[in-house]
Amino acid sequence: MENLVYVALFAPFVGSLFAALFGMSQRQIFVGVIASGLLAVSFISSLLLAINLYTTGNVIHVTMMDWINAGDISIPFGFVIDQISVTMMTVVTLVSTIVHIYAIGYMDHDKAFNRFFSYLSAFVFSMLILVMSDNFAGLFIGWEGVGVCSWLLVGFWYHKPDQTREENPSISPSWAANEAFIMNRIADLGMLVGIFILYWNTGSLQYDVVFAALPNLDDAVLVTAAIALFIGAMGKSAQFPLHTWLTDAMEGPTPVSALIHAATMVTAGVFLVIRSNPLYGMEAVAGVSFFIACLGTFVAFYAASMALVERDLKRIIAYSTLSQLGYMFAAAGLGAYWIALFHLAAHAFFKALLFLGGGNVMHAMHDELDLFKMGELRKKMRGTFIYMTIASIALAGLPPLAGFWSKDAIIETAFNEHTYVLWFMLVLTAGMTAFYSFRQVFLTFFGEDRHTALGFHPHEMYKFVLAAMSPLAVLAIITGWFMGGYKAFIYQIGEGVQYEMSEHTHHLATYLGLIVIFVAVSGIILAYFKYARTGKNAFKRNEEKEQGFFYKLLINQYYVPKIYEEYITKPYAMISEVFWTKVDLKIVDATVDNIAKFFYVSGDKTRAMQTGNLSNYLNWMAVGAVVLLVIAAISAMLV
Amino acid sequence: MENMLSILVFFPAVAGLLGFVVEKESARMYGVTVAAIEFALSLWLWFSFDMSNAGMQFVEMIPLIPDFGITYYLGADGISLFIIIMTTLMTLIGMAGMSETRNVKNMIITLLFLEMTMVGVFVALDAIIFYMFWELSLVPMLYIIGAWGGPLRIYASIKFFLYTFAGSLIMLVGMLFVAYTYHDLTGVWSFAITDWYALVLPVDYQLWLFAAFFIGFAIKVPMFPFHTWIPYAHGQAPTIGSVILAAVLLKMGTYGFVRFSLPMFPDASVMAITPIAVLSLIMIIYTAMIAYAQKDMKQVIAYSSVSHMGIIMLGLFAMNAEGLSGSVFQMLSHGIVSGALFMLVGVIYDRRHTKLMSEFGGLAAVMPKYAVIFGIMLMAAVGLPLTMGFPGEFLVLLGFYKISPIMTILAGTSIILGAVYMLRLFKKSFFGPLNNEENMKLKDLNNRETWSLIPLVAIVIWLGVYPKPVLEPIDNSVKALLVFMDEKAITKEAKDMILVSKSNKGGA
Repeated sequence: MENLVYVALFAPFVGSLFAALFGMSQRQIFVGVIASGLLAVSFISSLLLAINLYTTGNVIHVTMMDWINAGDISIPFGFVIDQISVTMMTVVTLVSTIVHIYAIGYMDHDKAFNRFFSYLSAFVFSMLILVMSDNFAGLFIGWEGVGVCSWLLVGFWYHKPDQTREENPSISPSWAANEAFIMNRIADLGMLVGIFILYWNTGSLQYDVVFAALPNLDDAVLVTAAIALFIGAMGKSAQFPLHTWLTDAMEGPTPVSALIHAATMVTAGVFLVIRSNPLYGMEAVAGVSFFIACLGTFVAFYAASMALVERDLKRIIAYSTLSQLGYMFAAAGLGAYWIALFHLAAHAFFKALLFLGGGNVMHAMHDELDLFKMGELRKKMRGTFIYMTIASIALAGLPPLAGFWSKDAIIETAFNEHTYVLWFMLVLTAGMTAFYSFRQVFLTFFGEDRHTALGFHPHEMYKFVLAAMSPLAVLAIITGWFMGGYKAFIYQIGEGVQYEMSEHTHHLATYLGLIVIFVAVSGIILAYFKYARTGKNAFKRNEEKEQGFFYKLLINQYYVPKIYEEYITKPYAMISEVFWTKVDLKIVDATVDNIAKFFYVSGDKTRAMQTGNLSNYLNWMAVGAVVLLVIAAISAMLV
Repeated sequence: MENMLSILVFFPAVAGLLGFVVEKESARMYGVTVAAIEFALSLWLWFSFDMSNAGMQFVEMIPLIPDFGITYYLGADGISLFIIIMTTLMTLIGMAGMSETRNVKNMIITLLFLEMTMVGVFVALDAIIFYMFWELSLVPMLYIIGAWGGPLRIYASIKFFLYTFAGSLIMLVGMLFVAYTYHDLTGVWSFAITDWYALVLPVDYQLWLFAAFFIGFAIKVPMFPFHTWIPYAHGQAPTIGSVILAAVLLKMGTYGFVRFSLPMFPDASVMAITPIAVLSLIMIIYTAMIAYAQKDMKQVIAYSSVSHMGIIMLGLFAMNAEGLSGSVFQMLSHGIVSGALFMLVGVIYDRRHTKLMSEFGGLAAVMPKYAVIFGIMLMAAVGLPLTMGFPGEFLVLLGFYKISPIMTILAGTSIILGAVYMLRLFKKSFFGPLNNEENMKLKDLNNRETWSLIPLVAIVIWLGVYPKPVLEPIDNSVKALLVFMDEKAITKEAKDMILVSKSNKGGA
């Protein structure tokens, strides 16, 4: 079994190195095939590990070698395969495998095909380190590793020039890549501080040691550690106010968006909170956990609101990701860790499917993403249409698809915890989610044909690509049916992750579920009437409405990116410039030069004394003697 | 081999003298061969190094002026060992990758002399010998900047020389005073640093002496506000000069703190934590911001180098083994990474004779190999885990967190600000459309450039993944140093502040 751990972990790494060997040569299909194959190997190993864990219940813990040893700190490369990590591994490798195969088709015209696979597999490797590591420092390796791979992949089409924010809200791929990296770094500082706090108070960074020592720590320490780690989680999972990078990251190729910015990397923050459940579940940090739940709910609503008016297909899906991450944090914050993890898995499947479907549309429309330029695509792209509808139903949360079970459980949790405001917001957001996901489906696949007039001749994606997507479609449908079985599996881990609804909630569960379904269906119907009809009821763009206050607020993302630019980026550049030209050159350096000049000038001036004329020298000698006498006289008087 | 260190110090100098009679055409080959032998010798030093011994090894002692206690006294411990190896490595790589064509023979001879002085500084255990090498190292560098530099080279080289020279004179006064005090207390003259260690000085003496040494070292590091010579020096120096300056010469300053200030003045060092930390924070944040404002690639790297030295300084005063070991490791990492970055900037300068970022853009498309290596070094510079930049920075911040959480958070902004200026540099030069006509036909790295950079890439990754072979000996010596400081400290505050590792409380 131990070998399987290494196989699962290193297969993507080998794939990445292999692809990197051909990184600078012509596109070669076999590079993509081999990388995908190695990912499949990793997936199968993960699955075997999961099955083994399910049947035997034995957590596997391996230590590969030492990494950093200094002073009293000792950090190994160690990996732990427990219920939490194996869930993540299976989800990550499954989605990655499908995305890899998809990318063979999607990237087939790209010159940098081989390089793409190298980055993509390297990303999966980092993600696996992140989830498998048995200590916080190892997690941090993966944490930063996925950050770099994301930087490389978002900026994959680096040759595109910068545009203004009006032309393209993300400016350019390379700009978006830098934004993502830097914003994540801000959060990473929080994460590092959390690591430092834990180390100095528990003497270790190993999960088991740290978690065992938690009950002996001061409340203040626990709270600061919880806050600091959560700041780290906020960056990776794009929670407000560190959320703007996620929508901009849509500049990357679509398979990247599907893999990194929907299914895997952005869930790392949620994973961190779930992994640290012994910390977040403590009495002393209840306030922090509640804050997490509130922030999650807020983000769920906030992101959904922006998706209502967005016209860019990929950005809508990005907002929905943001919103669903909010749901996960709401669940985790309320203590329902396993529900959060389950939603994470279910979301990974249907969101990846949605993104890949979006990629098909984009491929067909020659990279056009404006929904207003599509319409009636269902006849030309039947397979994609079916996939995206399945994914949207799952996202909207209708039974019996995956999203319903997991999201309903989260909403139920909010009710169960008597946080009715959160419950209300989450229900409302569920309605909005249903509305915007179907707005997107209807605008893309139904209604009037708006694309032919613009000269687009869409065509369906390759057959093998559609076939590769099918497992995701199946999973988007059936995952929810295994919620009970998964619960039994994850409960093996111990009390920390267990969460049960109260009797009272249990009784009301059916009604609660019906409310959610009702709200969601209303959203879909509303979207249908607005966007799906043809003929005289067909959707028409209302320019006047787009000048309204709320519309402008939403389409400009509440002006947050603008505020960041005006009040952070620009002042920073300005202050830097002042520091350089005004302070460093004019004050610090000028002082040094002036000191030097003083010696030089005084030397130069006094040189005139050296005339070689004896009588001159005598004069100076007399002056000197007088000065000395005066000094002697004064000091004598003072003493 | 009893005279191993002497051979290591004087081999390059003797070879440099012989270099005068070598043919001009083969001077470069000769220089690289000598540097390679020297590097091999330093590796041999590592292999024959006793890892379990935290003290001085390969000690050589020949009295020079017995009446004044001046001795030819050399030795190396875990802290200096790797700095020596880095010195010989960077000299070798710098020389092998050098693209200079003017007066190559003179350049080679100068570099070999410089190598002698640098190795000399790191192995000297007698203050006079140390001072001698310390000052001698200025001369070849003065010559390199002044003879091969850019248009402002005379100003830059004189500024470099006078500024650091003024600082070291104050340090010399401090040294003389220590020797004088030693004579007062024991009745014998000695300039041996190990003898000085035994000297327990009153706190006010310690403070004055700490200040005197501080000025000498701080200018060299360079600490804010003594850093303004460095943008000129880097701006005007030829690539090889910048590589050696950033990789090795700056480390002489931080090494001085470890070798002199910490063990000799433990109480003053503890008292100096806050002021030094404040200066270091200014270095980290202020110069990182200045780096962001730069238009010239090389100046970005130059200021970033100052910013990173701030992290090293902070770690030196963490007063625990985590921070101090991290700091020493970071010295090596900074040496290799900033050296490599300067070489990389040199590559583009050789092709375009400009370093302005506005001249570039889209280079990744025409020079992919160059972009990859630059990218790896950039990631190491911003401290990505599994590159050499991470363990040092992580340990320093971890260690200093024990002293002050707030200051650590401020220092930690280095990981953000570093990413900000580095990614901006990368975006401006390598990403975006390839608009400039002149860049379209640029040639990617040639063999010489590739093969001088590949070893650095390999080291950066190797020591990022498995830092143990280097970190362990450093850590041993650092722990011993802390135990020594703790025992020697006379004030309670200092004893409380200096944290001795649990792992050697029982043993050592």
